[in-house]
Amino acid sequence: MKKHITIILASIFTVAALSGCGSTNNTTNPTATASFDASKAITVISREDGSGTRGAFIELTGVQTKDANGTKIDRTTTEAEISNDTNVVITTVAGNAYAIGYISLGSLNDTVKALKVGGVDATVANVKAKTYVLSRPFLIVTKGEVTGLKKDFINFILSSQGQKVVADNNYIAIAENATAYTSTGLTGKIVVGGSSSVTPVMEKLAEAYKALNTGVTIEVQMSDSGTGITAATNGTVDIGMSSRELTDAEKAALTPTQIATDGLAIIVNKANTTTDLTKAQITSIYIGETTKWSDIK
Amino acid sequence: MNNKLKLKKLFEQIMHYVFLLTALTSIAAVLLICYFLFTNGIPAMSKIGIFKFIFGTVWKPSADPAQYGILPMIIGSLYVTAGAIVIGVPIGLLTAIFMARFCPRRIYPVLKPILELLAGVPSIVYGFFGLVVIVPFLGQLYGGGSGKSILAASILLGIMILPTIINISEAAIRAVPDNYYEGALALGATHERAVFKVLLPAAKSGVMTSVVLGIGRAIGETMAVIMVAGNQARITNDITSGIRTLTANIVIEMGYSEGLHKEALIATGVVLFVFILILNVSLSIFQNRQRG
Repeated sequence: MKKHITIILASIFTVAALSGCGSTNNTTNPTATASFDASKAITVISREDGSGTRGAFIELTGVQTKDANGTKIDRTTTEAEISNDTNVVITTVAGNAYAIGYISLGSLNDTVKALKVGGVDATVANVKAKTYVLSRPFLIVTKGEVTGLKKDFINFILSSQGQKVVADNNYIAIAENATAYTSTGLTGKIVVGGSSSVTPVMEKLAEAYKALNTGVTIEVQMSDSGTGITAATNGTVDIGMSSRELTDAEKAALTPTQIATDGLAIIVNKANTTTDLTKAQITSIYIGETTKWSDIK
Repeated sequence: MNNKLKLKKLFEQIMHYVFLLTALTSIAAVLLICYFLFTNGIPAMSKIGIFKFIFGTVWKPSADPAQYGILPMIIGSLYVTAGAIVIGVPIGLLTAIFMARFCPRRIYPVLKPILELLAGVPSIVYGFFGLVVIVPFLGQLYGGGSGKSILAASILLGIMILPTIINISEAAIRAVPDNYYEGALALGATHERAVFKVLLPAAKSGVMTSVVLGIGRAIGETMAVIMVAGNQARITNDITSGIRTLTANIVIEMGYSEGLHKEALIATGVVLFVFILILNVSLSIFQNRQRG
């Protein structure tokens, strides 16, 4: 008798568990969330304090303001969910019909929808034409005079081949009509470190460079802009990567070279009926003034 | 013969020191961690002001002047851990009882490795599971919107502490001498009654240990919690809204912090360390009382 009860219980539990799986799978299915209810609260998703992407976002949108003394204030609402990873932001927005987040344009994929900003599509062409307002520079920073292998690698990045790698990865090349690079057969090792936003494209650049110069090793260390700048200053890396402009103090010690431009994409769930926000509306959402999708003016 | 004996004695003495050295290594690790935490954390606390640090409700490290109040994170850790206990302990304890006294002999060899596998799943995998399964599910349950919440973190941690609770409690229940059980049966108790009224009270100390270790794991868990808790650094009493825990606070901001901000994060570690210390000390007091 007991055995029968056990078997029945086990099968009920299994069925319940499986059906549970089914219902949760539906949330990633657009048809299940197609009924978008604009009266619901907006789930604001932000990156962590100090992140290069957040720094670029709050600066570009005006979430960050300066008070009378020139002190910068980050007004991001405390109700904003914090993710310390671009992929977590994307997954969260993909799973929540009422969420809004921001990511690098280069990291955008089709599981989420990128909004127009001020009526302009978030595309490479628009960033290049400077009509899309949410964009930032990708810099490499070097200390002192650049010679030998380092100089050769930087020449490669700014050459037509290097800039093609940049463009192929959805970032915006900065050097139009760049000259072609020819290998001079150098050997050795370069250590590159810094911004996690620049790292993916830097890895691709390093690969392409190594294919042309087989005797070279390039180590790309991912951390963040601040760490990259510090490491370049004290010489622990040969080339630092930064996804923000240098401060005046940093400029005194280092030489920045822009290698690409990145756009920020404002992303929402695919079920969201909103297609266009102005910079002011985005700011209003992120400082917690606008809390419902229907309240966006 | 005499020489051989001497050699053996020498060997024994050498091994004696080898064992001593290994024991000292772990002690040295603990002492070094304490030293690092306190020398970096205490100055930061006094710079911020201990009262302002622990009871401050605003955490804005890049504001000017920066505000370092970790009360929201302390409360966050407590809520999430309490939730994990509410969900994990009943399930874990009943599973342990089932495994020790009710499980058919044929199923046991299948169940046991599965439960052990639960302990071996990396926490980032738990986190991802939470992010793509629990969070959207709760989001729907809340009527649309974000599922990242205290509840999501509690459920996930509740699952994560199961193996700790099950394995230690099961061992504790098995360790109760058989004559307790037989005696109970001889007095006319049913199987269920004997297990719940005799074996379980006798295994109380082991069960408590499992719960405390479970709490320790829940309060110290980081990667999984970051992905499902929402990480808002403010106080809330709503279990359907998000919160930031002490561990999450450290990991999220460590990469970008510098100066006093970094020291404040290490000081957050000190608070966490003190939490664990209190937990362990209260456990040993409890166990001593049981023995006494």
